[in-house]
Amino acid sequence: MEFNEAGPAASRRALLRGSALAGGGVAAALALAACGSGSSSAAAASGTGNFPATPKFKFVFVNHVTTNPFFQATQYGIQDACALVNCSYQWVGSETSDVSQMVTAMNTAITSGADGIAVALVDQTAFNAPTTAALAKNIPVVSYNADVTTNARLTYVGQDLYAAGQQMGQKIASLFPSGGDIAIFIATPGSLNIQPRADGAAAALKASGKNFTVKQVTTGADVNPEQSAIDAFTQGNKSFKGLFAVDAGSTQGIANVMRKYNLKSQGYHGGGFDLLVPTEQAISDGILDFTIDQSAYLQGFLPVLYLYLYKLSGTLVSPPFTDTGLKFVTKDLVAAYLKTQNRFEGSAAKQLYLH
Amino acid sequence: MLSKQRIPGLAGVSRTLLRMRELSVIAVVVVLLLYFGVSNSAFFSSSNLGNIANFTSAAAIIAAGEVFLLVCGEIDLSTGMTFALIPFVMMSVNDHGVPMFFAVIIALLVAAVIGVFNGLVSQLLKLPSFITTLGTLYLLHGITLKVSNNFPRPAPQDGFLMKILGVGEWTEIIWAVLLVTLMQVILTQTRWGVHTIATGANTLGASEAGISTQWVKIRAFMIASTFAGFAGILDGTHISHSFDPNAGGNDLMFEAVAACVIGGTALIGGSGTVVGALFGALLLAVLQDGFNIQGVSATTFIMIEGIAILIAMVLNTQLGRLRRGVKEG
Repeated sequence: MEFNEAGPAASRRALLRGSALAGGGVAAALALAACGSGSSSAAAASGTGNFPATPKFKFVFVNHVTTNPFFQATQYGIQDACALVNCSYQWVGSETSDVSQMVTAMNTAITSGADGIAVALVDQTAFNAPTTAALAKNIPVVSYNADVTTNARLTYVGQDLYAAGQQMGQKIASLFPSGGDIAIFIATPGSLNIQPRADGAAAALKASGKNFTVKQVTTGADVNPEQSAIDAFTQGNKSFKGLFAVDAGSTQGIANVMRKYNLKSQGYHGGGFDLLVPTEQAISDGILDFTIDQSAYLQGFLPVLYLYLYKLSGTLVSPPFTDTGLKFVTKDLVAAYLKTQNRFEGSAAKQLYLH
Repeated sequence: MLSKQRIPGLAGVSRTLLRMRELSVIAVVVVLLLYFGVSNSAFFSSSNLGNIANFTSAAAIIAAGEVFLLVCGEIDLSTGMTFALIPFVMMSVNDHGVPMFFAVIIALLVAAVIGVFNGLVSQLLKLPSFITTLGTLYLLHGITLKVSNNFPRPAPQDGFLMKILGVGEWTEIIWAVLLVTLMQVILTQTRWGVHTIATGANTLGASEAGISTQWVKIRAFMIASTFAGFAGILDGTHISHSFDPNAGGNDLMFEAVAACVIGGTALIGGSGTVVGALFGALLLAVLQDGFNIQGVSATTFIMIEGIAILIAMVLNTQLGRLRRGVKEG
């Protein structure tokens, strides 16, 4: 802008010229802003949304049951978040809750220079050294789905397995106000992704003060023999009117068995975890009391965003502790789940706007 | 096989019985049935017998195919994975508009192709079948997860075809018994069966005698895979009404092979019995069901199952020795 010493008329002209320029500049800026996220300036050519360009980050998710359908929704969440922030991911770990395999996978991620790691902390101590090593190399680490407070991870995203079991135990106690014989079916006793749930439920039932006899029954990891095992148990132990499970397959088995023998009408109550279709159907038909939704989708979606922001901001944006919630899906809530198969539950890959 | 006596007297009958290879496993099953029946009044109820039948069927059907392979000196470790894959192939084909009947046929053909692949790789490339089928195992598992999008899907329940393919109440065990009987007849009464046994007992001698041992083995691989795929369709339709990409798997494969061995088929090849494998599967099923119905607690259960299998096998071998003693004596 020129400064004219010529006098009031000249300075007024200058002022008017200046304002015109300023106004034009403002108008141009508004116009640019109005173009929205599509028109990034040259300096932010490969950034997404409002964000500037970054290298394409690669995040490694270490999981304990890589092929479990529960985590299919988590993987969809990861994929969708990665698409949003232009990152890539790798899904590794163990199929069978083998901690050594998981630790190896995590160490491989560290040595191959992953940009961020999300790990399900299914062991009290095994992951502590790798986490510290990763953080020392400036690789952010968050935990998801299962947590250990003595681990150095930046934050936890998910619901506590033991606490989830306790909440189920409290729910069971409310269904049996005067106590009773309760069977807790577990696919693979000792497995780190489900045993804590069973332990939590048993502890909550004990703490309820009512007269509960709790029996833990093995069903196996294969869904058809699982159902036969539940069937056999109920036929041979008619005093056990509470049938509850801590894994998706056993919950489905309970739903099918209760349907087969019409057990609800005989005073039985049943419930469990996760959202397989026969389970949802049984709740809708009034056969099963509840199942538990643990927001598997968010357990993948949020860690990606948190890791991205942490990297983008050079550690300024610190990921917060996030309780992804535990939702008891009962008859009044299940209709929305049954409506369409979708990515959020892991039942279909298609992108849908559900409304 | 019976030799001289045509109308055996009572002593002759018991001697004949003791010659049966399958006697030992049948005896152990009877003992277990009595034990659990006495321990729990619900054991012989119709619904529990249905459960035992359900536990038995999948392993028995796969075992019917594995016996052929074991007899000719091979093994298929990938049957548990074929079990999981074929129902999804069937559903995919059906999704594309093919009527269910043809979808089933196509899916079983795919299973047969898997068997041919296993056979060709192991025979032509001279890889031990253990290694070949170990590789196929992982390959098929991965393919199943991809094809199914790693999520179970409901099994069709309507229509006459699905009724005979699992929806009907005792259909799975009926199929198991039918297939076992068929394969036992083939193994013991047909030329193909004789060739299979010869190939396993003495491969070199058999090929020198003009038997095409490679094709005998490839055929055996085809049977094993096809039966495994068929079992997958039946089992999912019948029990949980749902097809799961993680169903069956290695546990089921081991159960089927264990059933073969418990039933009297030698792991090294050369002799085998399909009927014995059925009773082997029944033995494992009775153990599993019996302990479940007793309400044996979770952590103790697995230990007891292991001990029980060992005891059952010891009884089996001791009775087998007794049998051979009678045969020779």
